[in-house]
Amino acid sequence: MTPSCRKPREDSPAPSADRHAPFNYTGRRAMVVAAHPLAVEAGLKMLRNGGNAVDAAIATASALNAAEPFASGIGGGGFMVIHLAGEKRTTVISFRERAPLLASPRMFKDKGEEEKDWRTASGLAVAVPGALAGWDLALRKYGTRPLAEALAEAIAIAEHGYIISPTFSDISKEEYERLIKNLPQGSGYLNDGLPYEPGDRFRNPDLARTLRQIAARGVEEFYRGKIARKIVAAVQDKQGIMTLEDLASYEAVEVEPLQGTYKNLTIVAAPPPASGGLHLIQFLNIIERWPVGAWRLNSAAYVHHLSEALRFIFADRELYLGDPESVPVPVRELISKDHAAAVASLVRDDRPLDAYPATGLKAKEKDAANTTHLCVIDEAGNIVSLTQSINDFFGTGIVPEGTGILLNDHMDDFASDPESINAPGAGRRPVSFMAPLIIFKEDKPFMALGSPGGARIFSSLTQIILNVTEFGMSLDEAIEAPRFFSFSEGGKAASIEVESRLPEAVIRTLREMGQEVDVLKAYDKHFGGAQGIMILRDKGILHGGADSRRDGIGAGY
Amino acid sequence: MKKDCIGSVILSWLFFMILSIPANGQETTGIFEQPLLITSAGQNAEVQIAAVLAKRAGLDYFLSKRATPEDLETVKTLVFVLGASLKGLGAAGLDMDKERARVLDLAAAAQKKRIPMLCLHLGGEARRGGQTDDLISEILPLAKMLIVVRSGNGDGFFTRLCRQQNIPLVEVEKPADAQIPLQKIFQ
Repeated sequence: MTPSCRKPREDSPAPSADRHAPFNYTGRRAMVVAAHPLAVEAGLKMLRNGGNAVDAAIATASALNAAEPFASGIGGGGFMVIHLAGEKRTTVISFRERAPLLASPRMFKDKGEEEKDWRTASGLAVAVPGALAGWDLALRKYGTRPLAEALAEAIAIAEHGYIISPTFSDISKEEYERLIKNLPQGSGYLNDGLPYEPGDRFRNPDLARTLRQIAARGVEEFYRGKIARKIVAAVQDKQGIMTLEDLASYEAVEVEPLQGTYKNLTIVAAPPPASGGLHLIQFLNIIERWPVGAWRLNSAAYVHHLSEALRFIFADRELYLGDPESVPVPVRELISKDHAAAVASLVRDDRPLDAYPATGLKAKEKDAANTTHLCVIDEAGNIVSLTQSINDFFGTGIVPEGTGILLNDHMDDFASDPESINAPGAGRRPVSFMAPLIIFKEDKPFMALGSPGGARIFSSLTQIILNVTEFGMSLDEAIEAPRFFSFSEGGKAASIEVESRLPEAVIRTLREMGQEVDVLKAYDKHFGGAQGIMILRDKGILHGGADSRRDGIGAGY
Repeated sequence: MKKDCIGSVILSWLFFMILSIPANGQETTGIFEQPLLITSAGQNAEVQIAAVLAKRAGLDYFLSKRATPEDLETVKTLVFVLGASLKGLGAAGLDMDKERARVLDLAAAAQKKRIPMLCLHLGGEARRGGQTDDLISEILPLAKMLIVVRSGNGDGFFTRLCRQQNIPLVEVEKPADAQIPLQKIFQ
């Protein structure tokens, strides 16, 4: 199966030949949605073999490492939200990377350079990976299968290979400069030194071997064994500061989820250092003050008001978001309805504000549509919503010798300013935009949802939620609908980025209001690649939605 | 077995030679001189691929993604790699207006110095669309030749432009295939 062919599975009728046409995958008992068909197959196979949602989520997550290596893997980290149906309880496993112990607030400034290369393409950019530790913790606490079984399909995918999709090829070309700088000579991540073309076959025997070693010897092999030594050697060879102690001391953690409400919905998300869920709750709190249902979807009023709200949220982010293990983060205050009311009251109906709360944070011009997301529901009603990443596509491009592991560049998620609340420091976790969600309606699970897309994640997910709840769309219609995004920097509004599918008249009206509007192409992956599962209790079915902006697909039974 | 291998090599060479024949049959062997300056028109990622291909073709080149007229001092050919990239523009601190101004300024300087221009479009179908096409329409008519990946010319956009301006056009299946025509067209 090629990633560009959204082949139907199980209960689902055939999708349209137009990959962008909304199509809801259906199932009655269980479902997996993810950004690659091979990863979905891996998760579904685990469910069919009697594994639960956590087992299937890890099988899918590890398969994504093999099938979509540029977006996530054991060289990175992430967060997962797990709903345990039997206990009626939701929990979060945080496997966010950590800064090395030698990290300091001035580490980038002291190098004399704040240029992006240091922060994204050198050994300094690599944070201590957490993915394997997180998968292992989730399986040990809430799974029913050993890690070796969960990795089996990932090993097979890496070993046998698959046909490269246009998405994979395009991303390889976008990141080519960084790849040729850091990839080892003869790396399989390039095709004879050039990016893969659609239709080429890609194999990753090094990654297959690495995963086999981990399957045989456990995660210790990665954090304390031969693989650890190779990771440290590769990082230090590129001027990095990671040591064996950093890897040996890494632990994933289980934490209480963050919770907010929007009308009759309860949103459950990962807490800081994941900021996406917090910002999404803030966003919905503000929107709740406005008659969005009365505004047409993507009308000028809708786009204007939501863009203004986004600008205030980014101002809050710069002032208040850091690693709560190291700095106080006023979570309750930020997600309070009072705070939202105060922000909403500042927004003008007819034009943008002249300024937003002063910040001083420079925009990340290389903030890409990276990361990946998956959702799983099993027959017992357990749900996993998992987002994982290596930050920029292909991370740093640094691959420890013979391992096939792409190392992340998540140190770039720290602020350059040593005084910032999100400055790097020993063992700190950089603030992340990731936002895996589980949403409840009247206390019953309603939707699992998440997306890649960097700074656009929480805005895109909010628009999807509103598309379903305010505008009556099905899940995949909501995912495929056009999106927009804005933010603020230094107290000033950035432009509103819109997909070209927004009506010309709306764009014209926004400009007449004084908004600066940049038009991006239709279905630009800049706006993320969301995956979700919706539970339609009245019909007794599950709907899966998978974003055509990436190679998203779903399957259920 | 050895004869089969030799036969395969000859066939492959012939295949690429045939591919390298410009669509309008014009002679293009050795029509450009070295050294060459490779730059982007739109801050795309393919400019790096072009540099790798030039290196493999054994050409004397230098790469400057934001080249200015001053960079033309020591070159005999200017190579534009066509295609706008939002990500690339952002990384370069440019917007499309500034990039267009840079590119047109550079092209004008090359014309003044009688330095011929070669255009490459290696991004395929994915590197087409509004802003890219607008810039191509301005730059390509000034070029002496174009090499394009076939999927980027699926709608005949480049064919029409080249025909109007009588510019030799070579289509290749994928970027790696551009190496041989590159070798041929430089002295």
